[in-house]
Amino acid sequence: MLLGDVVGRLWASQRAGGLPGQTLLLVRPLDARGPSRRLIVAVDRLGAGPGERVLVAHGSRVRDLTVGAAVPDKDIVVAIVDDHHVDAAAAGGAGR
Amino acid sequence: MILGRVVGEVWAARKDARLGGAKLLLVRPHAWYEPAFATGHLVATDEIDAGVGDDVVVCLGQPARLSRGRGDDNTPVDAAVMAIVDRVEIDADGAARAGAAPGIHRRLELPRGLQPPRRPEPPR
Repeated sequence: MLLGDVVGRLWASQRAGGLPGQTLLLVRPLDARGPSRRLIVAVDRLGAGPGERVLVAHGSRVRDLTVGAAVPDKDIVVAIVDDHHVDAAAAGGAGR
Repeated sequence: MILGRVVGEVWAARKDARLGGAKLLLVRPHAWYEPAFATGHLVATDEIDAGVGDDVVVCLGQPARLSRGRGDDNTPVDAAVMAIVDRVEIDADGAARAGAAPGIHRRLELPRGLQPPRRPEPPR
């Protein structure tokens, strides 16, 4: 699962069969140096909106459990983050 | 499974009901997985009470769901902490050599805390 910031919504008038009724969000994952340059399109049923930080899980099983097997997207918002903490001392030696 | 370090925690009140009260840890995979973890972090559920600063083994995908003590596959997560690492032994030169393993293309510096003890000089 990844942390990311919701940076926008996405609408499409022509969609694949499973997509109607879903909210599609543009999510910018965080990386070690702040927001990354990558954007992912995630399906949201929790009511997240731009400006919120969310937890995005990936995979077909996650998709089946949350929004149904018919949805053709495997990035799903599973939580809206209230707060997160990064310990600078612990982070300093990791990931290098 | 991957090896990483717990660098923080995540709190969320509004979440998929099946996540329940699972503790969410922010884990930074150690560097030799680059570029598989382009974001430099992942969030994993934790049921074995790992803490910030611990090196942990994180399982990805379906096994992460099965780990949650329920024996079913019905929690919408894709990463879980499986073990808290007490000690790692590593062949620093061998493991970090470019081409030593898939995804390792350049010589890596070991993360702090995973440095192996210096070997004594061999007797002459």
